[in-house]
Amino acid sequence: MPSEPEGGATTPIPHEHVVFTDLDGIEGVLVDLDTKQYFQLNATASLIWRGLARGAAADQIARELTDEYDVTPEHARRSVDTAIADFIAKRLVTSRRARIAP
Amino acid sequence: MTASPHMPHPSHPAQSSHPSPDYGPRRLTVELTNICNLHCSYCLRDDDALHHQRAHDLPVELFTRIARDARQAMGIEQVTFTGGEPTLHRDFAGILAAVAELSLSCSFVTNGWHFDRVWPLLQAHRRSVTHVSFSLDGATRESHDHWRGRGSFDRVVQAFTRCWAGGFPFKAKVTLRRDTASELERLALFAARMGAAGLSFAHVMPTSAAVEEASALRADERAAAEREIAQLARIFRMPVTLDVGYYNTAPIAPCSPLAGTSGNVDYRGQLTLCCNLSGFRGAQGQSDVVGDLTREPFAAAYERLQRLSAAHAGRRLDALSSLARSGQAADLATGSPCLFCLGTLGKTPWVAPTMKELA
Repeated sequence: MPSEPEGGATTPIPHEHVVFTDLDGIEGVLVDLDTKQYFQLNATASLIWRGLARGAAADQIARELTDEYDVTPEHARRSVDTAIADFIAKRLVTSRRARIAP
Repeated sequence: MTASPHMPHPSHPAQSSHPSPDYGPRRLTVELTNICNLHCSYCLRDDDALHHQRAHDLPVELFTRIARDARQAMGIEQVTFTGGEPTLHRDFAGILAAVAELSLSCSFVTNGWHFDRVWPLLQAHRRSVTHVSFSLDGATRESHDHWRGRGSFDRVVQAFTRCWAGGFPFKAKVTLRRDTASELERLALFAARMGAAGLSFAHVMPTSAAVEEASALRADERAAAEREIAQLARIFRMPVTLDVGYYNTAPIAPCSPLAGTSGNVDYRGQLTLCCNLSGFRGAQGQSDVVGDLTREPFAAAYERLQRLSAAHAGRRLDALSSLARSGQAADLATGSPCLFCLGTLGKTPWVAPTMKELA
């Protein structure tokens, strides 16, 4: 079973310094207000971001990917993990625990 | 809304004591509606009209007639929409369609709050809408939302993003106050990194003693800010301008309204001299209003606008000449064209006390 990308059982959530713009209900763009950097998200990355934004777990987001696209559950889950790892590397998300802590 | 984008674009005042005037294409600024969804305390528009009166939109049919007649009588090529918040006009789509049908171009100043709703209209009118100008009050969520309310910064960033992703030119407009004067470089960096096609500043207008005291820069601070903006204009590839209120004593018309190349139509359909004077908060006089376009043809009112424009430009030149003859430097109330017009056209509800030592 794939491991959670950060903080054990927690799924990261968007950093407060990141603004997401839903372009057309499918694709989206992130702005990192710290670096003033744009990140264009394709349809699947946007779906994953929206899931993180509403606090969904990685498994749940992966299920939404399999509902929407012709992809196996394993492949979907790997894609979610990869995307989350990328978001973490670029400091676009934070662990839920870290955000709630003062 | 912040001050509107109608001022000329002379060479930057800090770059030359006698700027070459480039007043831009002949144009109208048009207030599409009186209402706004935000409550910016420094706004120059009358608070009652913005927030306490019923919504009054400029009818599409009236706008169409005015724009068509202005193209013929005045030779306008462009229209800049302001308000209130112009995107709150109930038939903004009809307004943009009218511009396109008249083969004019347009832009508008917006707070960006409703940009998602407006975006499809811009897509439909890409040829006639040259750009969008967004009011910006800070380079951070905290600084912008301090003036505009929670959520405003994210909305305007999302609007920037939509334009950037769609390749649609956008500009940022910043009111120059004490808080923004200390953030000029940061604001320019923010706008540039967001992909703005331009950044323009406008001095805050003296709408009350409270605004003056809390926000307006002293004369030396204004001069320093104007020098800094001129420096940024040299550094950034994106055009950085100071459009409203700057100190300019060159012996020529300092702006497009006084040069007679632009006019303003308010949401009631009145032709007025300048969008920065129109509906001014706390104003005593209405002498900038030259005609009611709901009752008379544009050409007749435009003749009066030209006379007012020439007379007022002459009045300011006389004031500058008189000071020069007596060996005095122009004070801010004369040296800033906007403050001169506010003072002499009965708009200023508050004048800071000054004392001059007489010879």
